[in-house]
Amino acid sequence: MSKLMTMEEAISQNVHDGDFVYIGGYVCRPPFGAIHEIIRQKKRDLTITRSNAADDFDLLIGAGCVKRFISTFISLGLYGLARCYRRSLEKGIPHKIEVEEYTNLSLPMMLMAGAMGMPFMPVKDMVGTDLMKIRSFMGENKYKQIDSPFDGKPVVLVPALNPDVGIIHVQQADESGNAQVWGIGGDCKWGANASKKVIVSCERIVSRDTIGKDPSRTIVPDFKVAAVVEEPFGAHPGYTPGFYDVDFSFGYVYQQASNTVEGLDAFLEEWVFGVKDRTEYVQKYIEKFGYSQFRKLQAKFDYGYPVSYAY
Amino acid sequence: MNTHPNDYIKPELMACCGAREIRDRDVVIVGTGFPTMSANIAKHTHAPNATMMQESGVYDAQPARPALSVGDPCLNPGAAMIGSLVDVMGLFLQGGWIDVGFLSGSQVDKYGNINTTVIGDYDKPHSRLPGSGGANPIGALAKKVLIIALHDKRSLAEHVDFITTPGYIDGPGARERCGFAPNTGPEVIITNKAVMRFHPDTKTAYLATYHPGTSVEEVCKLTPCKLDVADDVHETEPPTERELKVIREILDPYRMIKIYEKRGYV
Repeated sequence: MSKLMTMEEAISQNVHDGDFVYIGGYVCRPPFGAIHEIIRQKKRDLTITRSNAADDFDLLIGAGCVKRFISTFISLGLYGLARCYRRSLEKGIPHKIEVEEYTNLSLPMMLMAGAMGMPFMPVKDMVGTDLMKIRSFMGENKYKQIDSPFDGKPVVLVPALNPDVGIIHVQQADESGNAQVWGIGGDCKWGANASKKVIVSCERIVSRDTIGKDPSRTIVPDFKVAAVVEEPFGAHPGYTPGFYDVDFSFGYVYQQASNTVEGLDAFLEEWVFGVKDRTEYVQKYIEKFGYSQFRKLQAKFDYGYPVSYAY
Repeated sequence: MNTHPNDYIKPELMACCGAREIRDRDVVIVGTGFPTMSANIAKHTHAPNATMMQESGVYDAQPARPALSVGDPCLNPGAAMIGSLVDVMGLFLQGGWIDVGFLSGSQVDKYGNINTTVIGDYDKPHSRLPGSGGANPIGALAKKVLIIALHDKRSLAEHVDFITTPGYIDGPGARERCGFAPNTGPEVIITNKAVMRFHPDTKTAYLATYHPGTSVEEVCKLTPCKLDVADDVHETEPPTERELKVIREILDPYRMIKIYEKRGYV
């Protein structure tokens, strides 16, 4: 069954005000096309999560879409602290978001628990630190610390997360949503599978036969997928292995813009509200920075040895 | 006999101090910058069989350019294994396989606790920092942790404003009470002025070596809390000719390490 649609349709049908949204990516494959569409559709009061958040989460916060953030970390990487996140927490601009803080071990484990239908997961980190003293909107349910019934040692139980919708950007998918990735995974597989439904954004649509030539790469099966959107360059300014490089110079553009509220508004006007969809975004990118810059980001080809699943 | 050219910069010395803590066949979890540089120096000198992983899910990457983040595209082609956060933080770190973790912090205290969450009060922050990321589990679960910090009264503290990542927490026995493996914890704090180690009984940092150009007195003066001094305190061994050759000819031909001078590591 084809679930192919535009990003506008995918977001309007599947992301609602107040939803809990998992957004995949780790510099690698952030679903930026979807992020921009969420902002264009002025979604509000979202709870967002993933481990190691970056410019995409910062932009959502700055654009006023976020109420709550289940976080482990957020920065602009090479370009330092996340400006909109700081403005929100330090100055309440555009409003103060609520943050629940975990770690890059505990949060992926919470998504794993959600994906596997378990109520919680035991982890061995966080004990003894101030992360145990701060509780925000999850209150008493942020974690429970017990002595393990097996060896008596302290262990932290962290609750399962089941987002209303998970959004991931992948290299390829078929029209019904079997989604394939290669390269750095972050917590994508667990976040997507923990979600009640998944929006798959992809660089290219391939046939079901092509998926079957290397089925070990599939991280989400089609029955969990609600929408499939073909969006080449959909992770820019992040990267997609085998397709295009991370765009460090655009990262600098975002850093400079997000330094001030006015700069952020102008950035949103230019790159989000000023374009209709990802196709117009790419056109605009080429107009502004030149085709040679666009070409420079495109990946070289370096195919591996083809695998065979024959018997 | 090692020869020591005297044209090195402080970040090069610090990277060498980190490298010297890594043993052959160690499995090291690294971030970008100093950790990667140190681990690579070790690999090219005394620890050819040390291997690295990044928390994003990469094991034994073969980057063709310096990685600028732990999710950098150049970490993908050529790696021995690419998985997910669950693989590196769960399978390998929580599984007990990581020998060395390498962390830096905006604020580090005498017990080697690290703050990357907030400067000032948590609810009314003076400055909100990125958060734990992988640092808390690395501090809790790696067998040995190396810490990089600036040596000044803002970055070092008697007590950090917020313990994001556990060092020895509040002293002897604390890690054991938290369920962490015995004989684990911070090994050194490497700053732009000195190398500090931890006293086995008190679990507090003491001055082990001071870098060329400074002195015991200056290091103590720049440290905001009382700093014990080792009986055998001496000058840090400067980078050897071989270490510098590895840094400048193999690892960092464009001298990107110089950006650390701009960040105060002088």
